[in-house]
Amino acid sequence: MLEHLAAIAADGILLGLIYAIAGLGLSLVLGIMGIVNVAHSAFIMLGSFFAFELFERLGIDPIISFFLALPVFFVLGTVVYRMLLTRLERVAQAQGLVAMFGLMVLIENLGTIVWTTDTRVITASYTNSSVVVGGLFIAKVKLIAGILALALTAIFWAFLRFTLVGRAIRAMSQNRDAAMSAGIDVRRLSTMMFGLGIACAGAAGVALAMIFPFSPNTQVQWLAWAFLVVILGGLGNVANTLVAGLIVGLLQTLCAAFLPFDYVYLVLYVLLAAVLVLRREGLTLAVRRAI
Amino acid sequence: MLSLFFLPSTRESASGRIYRRAPWLLALSVLALYGVLGRQLFLLSTLGTVFLYIALTQAWNILGGYGGYLNFGMVTFFGVGAYTSAVLFQYWEISPFLTAPFAGITSAALALLIGIPTLRIRGAYFALITLIITFAVQILVLDMPFTQGALGIYLQPLSLTPLGVERLFYYLFLACAALVTLLVYAIEHSNFGWALVAIREDEDAAEIIGIRTVEVKWIANCLAGFVAGVVGGLYAQRILYIEPTGTFAFDISLNVVLMAVIGGAGTWQGPLIGAPLVLLVADALRVTFTSEVNRAIFSVIVILIALFIPGGIMGLWTRWGRGRAEKAAAGGTQGARADEQSVQ
Amino acid sequence: MNMSRTTSTLRIQEIVAGYTPGHPVLRGVNLVAKPGHITVVLGPNGAGKSTLLRSIAGFLRPSSGSIVLGETEISALPPHRHIERGIALLPQGRSTFPELTVTENIELGGWTMRSDRKRLRRAVEAMFERYSHLRELRNKPTGALSGGQQRAVEIARLIVSDPTVLLIDEPSVGLSPIVASQVYRELQALKAEGRAILLVDQDVRAAINVADYVYVLNSGRNDIEGDSSAFHGDLGAMVRRWLGV
Ligand SMILES: Nc1ncnc2c1ncn2[C@@H]1O[C@H](COP(=O)(O)OP(=O)(O)O)[C@@H](O)[C@H]1O
Ligand SMILES: [Mg+2]
Repeated sequence: MLEHLAAIAADGILLGLIYAIAGLGLSLVLGIMGIVNVAHSAFIMLGSFFAFELFERLGIDPIISFFLALPVFFVLGTVVYRMLLTRLERVAQAQGLVAMFGLMVLIENLGTIVWTTDTRVITASYTNSSVVVGGLFIAKVKLIAGILALALTAIFWAFLRFTLVGRAIRAMSQNRDAAMSAGIDVRRLSTMMFGLGIACAGAAGVALAMIFPFSPNTQVQWLAWAFLVVILGGLGNVANTLVAGLIVGLLQTLCAAFLPFDYVYLVLYVLLAAVLVLRREGLTLAVRRAI
Repeated sequence: MLSLFFLPSTRESASGRIYRRAPWLLALSVLALYGVLGRQLFLLSTLGTVFLYIALTQAWNILGGYGGYLNFGMVTFFGVGAYTSAVLFQYWEISPFLTAPFAGITSAALALLIGIPTLRIRGAYFALITLIITFAVQILVLDMPFTQGALGIYLQPLSLTPLGVERLFYYLFLACAALVTLLVYAIEHSNFGWALVAIREDEDAAEIIGIRTVEVKWIANCLAGFVAGVVGGLYAQRILYIEPTGTFAFDISLNVVLMAVIGGAGTWQGPLIGAPLVLLVADALRVTFTSEVNRAIFSVIVILIALFIPGGIMGLWTRWGRGRAEKAAAGGTQGARADEQSVQ
Repeated sequence: MNMSRTTSTLRIQEIVAGYTPGHPVLRGVNLVAKPGHITVVLGPNGAGKSTLLRSIAGFLRPSSGSIVLGETEISALPPHRHIERGIALLPQGRSTFPELTVTENIELGGWTMRSDRKRLRRAVEAMFERYSHLRELRNKPTGALSGGQQRAVEIARLIVSDPTVLLIDEPSVGLSPIVASQVYRELQALKAEGRAILLVDQDVRAAINVADYVYVLNSGRNDIEGDSSAFHGDLGAMVRRWLGV
């Protein structure tokens, strides 16, 4: 029994690490820039298919795709920011939300045109093997994906905390005017930050594709998970996002183990509602910034 | 202060009001007449769908258009309404015509349930939750025993000729569309509508002047839920077979947003323009394109409208009208302008 | 520290600027701020004083008129390019980055020096020499400091890149009288280093005490102006006029 529990916990933690990076990009873009990226999970979906294409066509392992996704999606993010969001800063919030919603629908349907609605999986050499860690059988893919996710989280955390650019990005979110008078090019850093958020989404897509089946038109479910992580962890804080991811991961595996069918969704939404009610103040403050 | 009393009254004369409303009333009469005279099943059915969407989009418009809180999951209310009526029929054989109001109430209750946590806080949380909750509700309906999962629920066909059925639903949905439009018109010209607009423009200021913003948003959301639920209940009787994926199709949510945004959110005319236009264009595109391409095209249109034409077609129309009025005023007397400034 | 400082005069001519097109807040303002001088701008609430400083700092683009530093027209420059020219703005109200530490705040004031990390570190260290009471707070988040300490951080952040023109908006609001007088003393020290200081203030008496030249703004236009001595006797009358009594 105890062993069973430990296995569930290990599973939950590894999943939680991946949920953390799925939420991280959303959290940073929302917390630091005040942009509600409704299209976040659409970029996650693109990340999954990025790994899928590289794997199917060129035989590139998803571990490598994980790192390749970072620069590719960074560039994609900056392009999207330049095209849409600089314009979006000048329109009302509801207007911006509609535009992001449109972007989500656009990406999802372009995805469906290219890849159809078929459900895909990536079967790498290690997909069905497991390793024994301290007497526990752990699926190798989950271990790998979890470690990759943890590494990425650590990189983001260190970047925002220890580099001057990272601090400038945080400064920009705390006092935009003062940051500008200090000489910080807010437009450029915003582009960069959005690029980083999308890079994170792309990498999360790769990690998720290693474990779960995926298709273009089910991407919104990842928005639900990412959003739960963001609400639980608060906005724009890497460490809290990690903790929130772990909680969500553990919760999911526990529910799946002890409750019948998809009650996990019910638990998820009750939790979502509860956190929204409880964290009201903190969430309101952060969202008032900009769009 | 005194000068306030000399401001031209904003209330139109009775004849002016009739003149303004005449085209709409005329259109309504023509449509009502067509219900009797028309014999083409396809046309009647298509128009019925247009009316259904007008009702849904108007319902969305209350909180989304006037209040600025966007619901990206309108289908949830619609689908829950449809299922309420279908389940009531399945177990007790009550006709959806009788249970439609109850379907509305169920959806309104769900709207309240969603609104309580999400509308108390500002910002986009409501929009995000409505978007992702569709997914959860769909899965629940798939898994619950009493909804029969993916099997779906069959309803009793009406004992009418096909033409009779189409006419019946033509009139039902026309009535729904007209009533909801009337409701939205009334809201636009009431304190409630004014409060919603205040919330959209500046929620802080709205609170300061004493608007109970949270309650206003809740009511608006419940109204939307009620309308969508009733329409959903009637829809169940129309298509006679309800199953989770079709009833909770994301397309319905998407269409509602498209119609409102393209026609012009926050005006009572917007959905009247948007719904037929989107369905017409979608039908025209369907001949040559798949539905994915179709949606991709529409999403680009929505992005462009959101970024460059706030207010959609109605926004363009009013700006064009104002431009003309200004041109006319510039040619007019200077005295009128001086008055205007002294009032400020 | 003084070597890179070129002394140039800031000249503002007939600028018109505002937040909504067609409704300018500033409707033709003229002024000159000279190096080694404290130039004070006074005026009733809503006269456009903050708007003036924000226009000079590039946050608002004037629809007409000119802002010239030395020989260069700078009115089309975006805000983040002003610090390179030696123009630094201390905005109205709190402007620290509250979740960053004192050191990190000051460091970001030297953002334009970031390619030369050694120089940046030296400049930050110089600030801790100058405001030694900040040294022991250096690793605290700025939001946890007292109002006076935060103002010190703001000033340190403002001058770490050694700007020549300081635009200062109501520096003593919300401070105790003792701390406020320290702030004014610091402004005089900065002036003595040859910087041009353009000070906007609600505390009329304190501002006139440190001023070399005073402009009064009213409804977005120049009202009266003169050497500070001319204002000493007449304060009460002027304030009454603003209040319209
Ligand atoms: N961000 C803004 N948007 C619109 N109007 C503003 C803004 N800031 C200030 N104003 C208006 O500009 C005028 C001048 O304001 P301000 O420059 O702050 O005055 P002062 O600093 O002299 O008290 C006021 O009428 C104010 O309402
Ligand atoms: Mg001011």
